[in-house]
Amino acid sequence: MIIDMHMHIDDIPALGWQMSAAQCIERMDEAGVDAAAVMTIADLPGINPEALDLINAACADFPGRLYGFVRLHPWYRAEALQLLRRAVGELGFRGLKLHPVSSLAHPSGDDTVALIQAAGELGVPTLFHCGDEPMTTPLSIAPAAAACPDSVVILGHMGGYFHVDEAIEVAEQHPNIVLETSATPYPEKIREAVERIGAERVVFGSDGPVSSPVLERQKVMIAGLSPADTALVLGGNAARLMGVAA
Amino acid sequence: MTVDGLAFIGTSRFGYELSAAGLLQGLDRNRISAGIVAPVHRSDHDVDRANEDVASAARDSGGRLLALARVDPWDGDLARDHLVRAVRELGARGLFLHPAEEHFRINDPRVRLLAETAGELRIPVVVATGYQGFSEPVQMTQFARWCPDVPVVLTNGGQYNISGLAQTDAGLALQLDNVHVHTSGVYRDDWIELVVSRFGAGRILFASAAPVMNLQYELARVELAHVPQEAKELMLDGNVRRLFGLGEGA
Repeated sequence: MIIDMHMHIDDIPALGWQMSAAQCIERMDEAGVDAAAVMTIADLPGINPEALDLINAACADFPGRLYGFVRLHPWYRAEALQLLRRAVGELGFRGLKLHPVSSLAHPSGDDTVALIQAAGELGVPTLFHCGDEPMTTPLSIAPAAAACPDSVVILGHMGGYFHVDEAIEVAEQHPNIVLETSATPYPEKIREAVERIGAERVVFGSDGPVSSPVLERQKVMIAGLSPADTALVLGGNAARLMGVAA
Repeated sequence: MTVDGLAFIGTSRFGYELSAAGLLQGLDRNRISAGIVAPVHRSDHDVDRANEDVASAARDSGGRLLALARVDPWDGDLARDHLVRAVRELGARGLFLHPAEEHFRINDPRVRLLAETAGELRIPVVVATGYQGFSEPVQMTQFARWCPDVPVVLTNGGQYNISGLAQTDAGLALQLDNVHVHTSGVYRDDWIELVVSRFGAGRILFASAAPVMNLQYELARVELAHVPQEAKELMLDGNVRRLFGLGEGA
């Protein structure tokens, strides 16, 4: 089973963000991807009040193929915690998404840590945007992972362009960190990550549909992992983390 | 046929290396007929020797490799001399500038001399683009205006941010007719489609940026792009031949 750990659905014409569930499915089919974690571009609460319903409807429209992650703004701590518990407890969402570029909330801030801890208590992982911008680098996120040892923290883009080595280093230091492969352009770093932290802690993602799942899957293949490790990275790990039957 | 729009050969002081033989093997493995090659920044900082080595590799490649000259604007008038010599004596077919590795700002007035020299020599300029403070896409527009008759090629799609935060700025740069972009390391892949639809398929070129990036993966980025086949052929072959004057036989 191939699972894409990082896809987006949103509908905010004013910002030019229109990515539908149907687009995701089309790109998944092209790439031979069976299922995907889907999340909005905007944070809740925020500019798209319908975000939770949008993701929930997408998952309902494509059962067994799309699994929701709720993207939250940590500054609205009480409301965000309430939304997280509703999303996971009532709607069956499988994860939390945090993006410090859009929220400007530091990963190790109290509000963010509270959300990550709550996600861990609910049994779902937290996917961070982890790239090159301030507040998103591996070393910025690592203290949050240290503060929440019982929560799984996924570094989306595994450090982007310039922080990939740091992503692997913090993953070596914190066993609850998982690296996600989308958009970073270095197949050989996926292999290095598998060698250094184990295939069980590396997951395939595309950041689709605007980034190409078929290309992102090809990147994992170019990494030249063993068949067993490839199966874990492309789907086995995501199934375990999201509680999806492989 | 396919031509790689940019690869590096030599041993860089920044920790990457690729020999001409290694690059040619990589091109063969990926059925790429030719490549544009730039020198790395050597540990001894000897710009002239780096240009000589790459020119020599190009001469020995049977026409498969075409050399760019790399110079350091901090060398002042000497940088201009290095460029002129590389073009007139060594056969370099373009200028490569790496503002981040040579630590200069692409729109620093001191760089204008090189832009104007490229114009006098009628050679294209390739710039390692997207490095904050050194070669942001809107900084590139100032450079490109200094040499309006020269094709200026921006690496990395014109922006180098994993959130795509500078894509709009890269679009501003592409409003200048002489600006082109490479496909290497592009975030997001629909940026390739957007450049083709908004600015035309003649404005975007395949480049691997090997060994900094992965040749096989960067080729797949273009081959799997959701653009018409004619656009793909221009990206993979026609554009680089047109801009760098590469013959059909290469």
